[in-house]
Amino acid sequence: MNLTPEQQELGRRNFLRVVAGTPAFAALGVAAAVKGPVRGGPVRLGFIGLGGQGRVLLEQADPRYAEVVALCDINPLQLQKGDESLVKTARQPVKHYADWREMIQKERLEGVVIASPLFTHTDVAVACMEAGLHVLCEKMMGIDDASCRRMGDAAKRTGRVLEIGHQRFYNPVYQAAYAGIVKAGLLGEVYHARLVWHRNGNWRRTAELPSPDYSPAQWGYPTYDHLINWRLYKQYSRGHMAELASHMVAITDWFFGTQAVAAVGSGGVFRFKDGREVPDHTYVTLEYPGGRDAVFTSIESNAFDNYYEAYYGTKGTLILQGEIEAYLFEEGAPAGAAKATGVAVAPKAGPAGSASESRAADAAGAGKGVGAASGGGDRLAAYRMEVSGFCSAVRTGAELKCRPERALGSAKACIAGFDAIEKKARVEIKA
Amino acid sequence: MDLTPTRTQQAALVVLRALIGWHFLYEGFVKILWPAWSRDGAPIARFSSAGYLRSATGPLADLFHGLAEVSWLPWLDHLMAWSLLLVGLGLILGLFTQLACAGALALLALFYLSWLPTRGVYEPGAEGNYLLVSKNLIEAAAVAVVLVFRTGRIAGLDLLRGRERAQPVAPVAEATR
Repeated sequence: MNLTPEQQELGRRNFLRVVAGTPAFAALGVAAAVKGPVRGGPVRLGFIGLGGQGRVLLEQADPRYAEVVALCDINPLQLQKGDESLVKTARQPVKHYADWREMIQKERLEGVVIASPLFTHTDVAVACMEAGLHVLCEKMMGIDDASCRRMGDAAKRTGRVLEIGHQRFYNPVYQAAYAGIVKAGLLGEVYHARLVWHRNGNWRRTAELPSPDYSPAQWGYPTYDHLINWRLYKQYSRGHMAELASHMVAITDWFFGTQAVAAVGSGGVFRFKDGREVPDHTYVTLEYPGGRDAVFTSIESNAFDNYYEAYYGTKGTLILQGEIEAYLFEEGAPAGAAKATGVAVAPKAGPAGSASESRAADAAGAGKGVGAASGGGDRLAAYRMEVSGFCSAVRTGAELKCRPERALGSAKACIAGFDAIEKKARVEIKA
Repeated sequence: MDLTPTRTQQAALVVLRALIGWHFLYEGFVKILWPAWSRDGAPIARFSSAGYLRSATGPLADLFHGLAEVSWLPWLDHLMAWSLLLVGLGLILGLFTQLACAGALALLALFYLSWLPTRGVYEPGAEGNYLLVSKNLIEAAAVAVVLVFRTGRIAGLDLLRGRERAQPVAPVAEATR
């Protein structure tokens, strides 16, 4: 084709005039893709494990964020209670499964919430992630160091979201305490933390068989007692360290800005000599870099102190009590001169308090202090925000508050603490 | 005196049209996208004009308040969202530009009349203090400028449509004379 330079210039100009709006259109497309809303409805979730903790998460799953698609538990009674939880929160019962593999295969899920016994966390979580599902897994992360690392590696390898359920990270009281007090340096240098979870009740529970012919053996539990009291046996559990301390240690790691390097422990089965294998009295000191330590105690013989985290600094003391109240005391100030932190929340009774497995003994035995009324509305809000935060991360890539790395530090320390009691020796924690 | 817009003036008109088009198109896009989440991780509520209509002010307020209660409001919402999207698309690409301008004017007139700033003081939901002249009215005036200058003949996909192409694009022969 023979076009003169003039013709070429004119043709070029004509073309540019026709497509004049296209760059703006393309720019809007790019801007919308980068900064605009992300399409998608509530995240489609399956729940694995409908014990007390699983049902708390189920009830707190905000329908705007999460659509509950199916429930899975090897105990039909728990599934029934799961449905009751759904109905209680104005939702319809959903399909039931006894086998989580069948559920993730048959249902069109985007993620799962795992609240099954500790020893199952890793296998279930890793398989779900490998099946393309995002995972919110209850604490503690895994039963041993290798299991925890497997979960973290699987999350990296599959690119799936893995969040561990330390709901305190979502609790406004803890967030305010960190931002307004710890990070602001109001405590000065903190060398010592006291982590207390004291109860006066028996962790062992009784429950009727789902049916006369129900056999837990098909799920790997020799007796029904092992199934409902799995927390009391070493093959499934790490006792107080996993169920109670891991929450507090995760917060301590956050406040200290580092992770524990060694554990020293003592304790044993002193009160409830009923065949259980994990201590009913636990005393563990965690050593942190820089001469800091955190002392965790959990007893099942007195509930006077109930549960709190206390951080003792050169300038002040911060006490976080029952997950709902915070107190700040200035060092050297007259006794009783507590500074208002602005984050105190009046405790009130709530359904999670009675449903939570970690607090069953509290409910049974707490008689004084905040223990008797520790089921607070704000604690529930933390669970709600945790599930919502997980869904946000799935849908939009929003930042997780308890990533695997964060949970791993706490889990390693608690596993080391449990081992220290067993070995009656100082246990160093591998980096 | 030659009143034909210079190339700079023409370019300015096309840019103005594209900006207005962007505004409309994105408004429509977000409303149609539902269900959706914001980037910071919060689900976005489904678009409904009910709240907007219920808070209408001015002499036509009762009419708009009534509209907020009609059973076919969801259809109206759909119509609004798609109108915004199509008008925006037309303006940004310069396709059926005159029709898009007319649509934009109609929508802006609706928005202006439903929130007529007669009180002259700050009202909840407003971004500033307005008396009679609001941003909707100013945008409508800008659309009117785009309309009367027939910017589809200056640039845009309208040039590919026979009628519009004849005038603005110089024939190749002209350049070779």
